[in-house]
Amino acid sequence: MAEALLLAQGITKVYPDGTVALTGVDLEVQPGEVHGLLGENGAGKSTLTKIISGLLPPTAGRIFWKGKPVRFSSPREALRAGIGMVHQHFALVGPFTGLENIALGAEGGGLLFPVRAEAIRRRVEELMAASGLQAPLDVPVEELPVGVQQRIEILKMLFRDVDLLILDEPTAVLTPQEVDELFPILRRLAQQGKSVVFITHKLREILAVTDRVTVLRRGRVVAVRKTAETTVEELAQLMVGETMVAQAQRSRRPPGEVVLRVRDLRVLGAEGRPAVDGVSFEVRAGEIFAIAGVQGNGQSELVEALVGLRPWTGEAELSGQSLRGKSPAQLSALGVAHIPEDRHALGLILEFSVAENAVLGRLAPFLNPVGGVRWGRVQRFAQDLLVRFSVQARGVRAPARSLSGGNQQKLLVGRELSKSPKLLIANQPTRGLDVAATRYIRDLLLRLRDEGLAILLVSADLDEIFELADRVAVMYRGTFTGILPAEELDRERIGLLMGGVAAEGARE
Amino acid sequence: MRAILESLLALALGVLVGAAVMAAWGRDPWGAYAALFTGALGNVRALASTLSRSLPLVLTGLTFAVGARAGLFNIGAQGQMLLGAVVALSCGLLSLPPGWHLLVALALSALAGALWALPVALLKLTRGVSEVISTIMLNWVAHWLTLYLVVQKLSDRVVGQRTFTVPMGMRFPVLQGELTWSWTVSVGMALFLFWFLWYHRQGYEVRAAGLNPRAARAAGISVSRAMVLALLLGGVSAAWAGAIQVLGRFPYAITSDLANLGNLGFDGIAVALIGRNHPLGILGGAFFFGVLATGAARMGLRGIPLEMIQIVQGVIVVAMAAPEALRLLRRLRARQREVVPA
Repeated sequence: MAEALLLAQGITKVYPDGTVALTGVDLEVQPGEVHGLLGENGAGKSTLTKIISGLLPPTAGRIFWKGKPVRFSSPREALRAGIGMVHQHFALVGPFTGLENIALGAEGGGLLFPVRAEAIRRRVEELMAASGLQAPLDVPVEELPVGVQQRIEILKMLFRDVDLLILDEPTAVLTPQEVDELFPILRRLAQQGKSVVFITHKLREILAVTDRVTVLRRGRVVAVRKTAETTVEELAQLMVGETMVAQAQRSRRPPGEVVLRVRDLRVLGAEGRPAVDGVSFEVRAGEIFAIAGVQGNGQSELVEALVGLRPWTGEAELSGQSLRGKSPAQLSALGVAHIPEDRHALGLILEFSVAENAVLGRLAPFLNPVGGVRWGRVQRFAQDLLVRFSVQARGVRAPARSLSGGNQQKLLVGRELSKSPKLLIANQPTRGLDVAATRYIRDLLLRLRDEGLAILLVSADLDEIFELADRVAVMYRGTFTGILPAEELDRERIGLLMGGVAAEGARE
Repeated sequence: MRAILESLLALALGVLVGAAVMAAWGRDPWGAYAALFTGALGNVRALASTLSRSLPLVLTGLTFAVGARAGLFNIGAQGQMLLGAVVALSCGLLSLPPGWHLLVALALSALAGALWALPVALLKLTRGVSEVISTIMLNWVAHWLTLYLVVQKLSDRVVGQRTFTVPMGMRFPVLQGELTWSWTVSVGMALFLFWFLWYHRQGYEVRAAGLNPRAARAAGISVSRAMVLALLLGGVSAAWAGAIQVLGRFPYAITSDLANLGNLGFDGIAVALIGRNHPLGILGGAFFFGVLATGAARMGLRGIPLEMIQIVQGVIVVAMAAPEALRLLRRLRARQREVVPA
C-alpha cells in the first residue's frame, strides 16, 4: 500500500469526568479512498474524528499526517493542514448566501473583498463543476433545504483545498433521494484524489459508498475490512459484538400483573415532527421490558413522555390509573422512578451536595411544618444511601461533581429506588460507566426485577439488552418493528432491525 | 474559604492598581488610602456613616443575588428601589393612628416593588421575554414616573429642591449619628433570605431551578414558580432599599434630582458580585461599598481630585466583583452551548 494520508495510532481519550471514550484506537486513511467509520452510538466515532480534526486533544496516542507527526490544537490548524470536518450541525451563517458562507474566513484580502468576489465565485463554480456538488450561491442558506446546506458545507471545505474530508453522519439529516445524490459525489471526490472519512451506523451505506471500513465498538477498533470483502451480516455482528453472556439471567418466576400499559402512544419531537408514532406495549411486575434501537429513533421522547416531561396522545396507565396530564411530581408520587439517559442534564445537580441531590424530587418527608428543611435528617438519609448503594464519596457535603460517573449514577439510582416505586424507567443506565459500576447497576436491576419491580429499560447497548431483558422491542423511526420474547432473541436479527435494514428492505 | 482568599487577592490587586494610578499622577497613594481608611472607620461617627450608606446596598444586592440564584439576570432593582422610595414617602400623606405609619409605609412599598417585578415574571413566562430587557425598560418607566411624582406632586412648598420631609412618626429612630434602626430591615432581610435559600423547601427549589432547570423540572420542581418567587422577593427587597433610604436617612425626603437615591439599584449588582450572591457575603460587600463611599470624602480633603477618587473606587470594585462575574458569564455561556447541541 502507498503511504497513508492519515495515520492515527493508539488514540486514547478519557474525558474529565472519567468516561473512557477511546482505548488505543488506530485509524489509517489512504489517499483517494472513502473510509467508513462504523459503530453504534457511543462507540467513539465522533470522539475519534473530533480528535483528528483538532477539536479535542487526545489523552494518549499519535497522529501522522502525510507521514509527519502532527498535533493540532484547533480545528483551524487542522483545516490549514488540509483536514476538514462537516459536523452534523452545520457551521453556516443563516442570513449569508452560499457564496458568502463559502468565502467566510477564507476570503483573505479584508477590505478588498468586493474586488475578489468574482474570483471567488469563479473558483467555486469550477469546484461545483468538478465535484458535481450543485448549489445556488446567491440565496441565503437558511432558505435552502438541509441537503443543499450540506453541499455548501462540503464546498466550503473543498474551497479550502482539504485533502481529507470528514463527514459526521452526513445521511442522518438527508432524505433517501438526497442520500442517493450524495454518494456518487463522494465517489467522484475520491477519484479526484480526495480522501473521505464517512461516519455512520447504517450498514447499507457502508456497503454502498466506502472502499474500506473501520468498525468501532465501545471505544475500541474491532475490525478493519475491505468493503468488497465483507457483508451486512458480518458488519452487523461486528458492530454490536459477539454473543458473550450466558443468558442465564432470566427471571425464574412468571411475571405478575400489568403495571404499565401503553396504547398507541404518540409524541412530537423537538422539531414538531412525530418522534414516537404510535407504540403499544405492557410492562408487568417482575419483568424487564427493554427497548432496543439506535439512539434518536424516538426512545428519548418516549421516556420523556412517560415521566411527564413531554406532551403526548394515546393511552398510558399505571396499575389502571391513567397518566394523562400528570406532572413529573404527580407521576413520581404515583410510583414512577426515572433514571434519565443524561444524568448530568436531568438526573443530578452537579453543584449541589450529595445530600441535596439525595432529596431532589423527594424533599417532602424532610420538611417541618413551615416548609423548613430538616438537614440533619437529610444528611442521615444521604449517608444511608451512600452505604446501601456503595457510593464512594468524600461525604454527604461533597458536591456531586466531585463523584466519579459510576458513583453519581449509583447515587441517582439509590435516590430513585428510595421512593419505593412500582415502575422503574431506566434510560441508558450504564452508558459511559466503567466496568465495575456497569456490573453493579445491571445486577441491581436484575435483583429488583426478581423482587417484583416492573422495569422499562431503554438501551442502545445490545449486550445490556441480552443480559437483562425478558422481552425486547426494537424501535426504529418512532415505531416498534417487533416485540420479541427473550427466548427468540437473535443478535443478528436485532442488529439488522436496529440498522434499519429489515425496515428498509420491507419498504423497497 | 477559597472565596474569601480570592476576594482578598482581588482586593490587593485593585488597591495596587489604584495606587499605581495615583502615583502616576504624582499623588501619595498610601496617604490617600490612610485617609480613606480613617475617613470611613476612624471613629464612631465615621463608622455610623459608613454603615448607614451600606444598608440600602444590602437590599439591592439581595435583589440581584436571589435572582441569580434562580438563574436570572435581574437588573430591575433600580426601578423597584425608586418606586419603593416614592411609595414609602407618600405614606406620609395618609392619616393613620400614631405608630402605624412606618409599618404601613414598609408594607405598601414592598407591595409596589413586588408589583413592579410582576410584569417581568409574566413577560418571561408567557412570552419568553428576557428579564434583562424587561427590567431595563421598567427601570426607565419607574425613573420618569418617580421624577414626575417627586417634582410635580410631592415637592415641598417652601424648599423646591426636594419633596416634603417624612413626618417624625414615620422615621426610623436614630441609633448613632447617621445610623438609624433601619439596619434591622437590611440585616433582617439578609438573614431571612439566607434561611430561605438554604433552609426552606422553596429556596432549595429556587437554587435547583437556577443551577439546572431541566433536572429541577424532571424532579417535579416548578421552575416557573421558582423564578416568579425570586423576582417577587427581589422586588420587595429593592423597594425596601428605597424605603429605608427615605425613612431612615437624612434628608428624610427625595431630592428633586433623585440624587439621594442615586444608583442604589445598579450598585447593588456590584455588591452582590462582591458578596458572591450569598446573603451573608452581601452584608460584607455592602459594608465595603460603604467604606469606599464614606472614605472618599476624606481622600478629597487630602487634595485627590474627585475624578481620580472615582477611578480608584472603580478599579477596586471591578477587581472585587470580577471573580463572581466571570463565574456567572461562564455559566451563561455554558447554558447557551447547551441550547445548540454539539
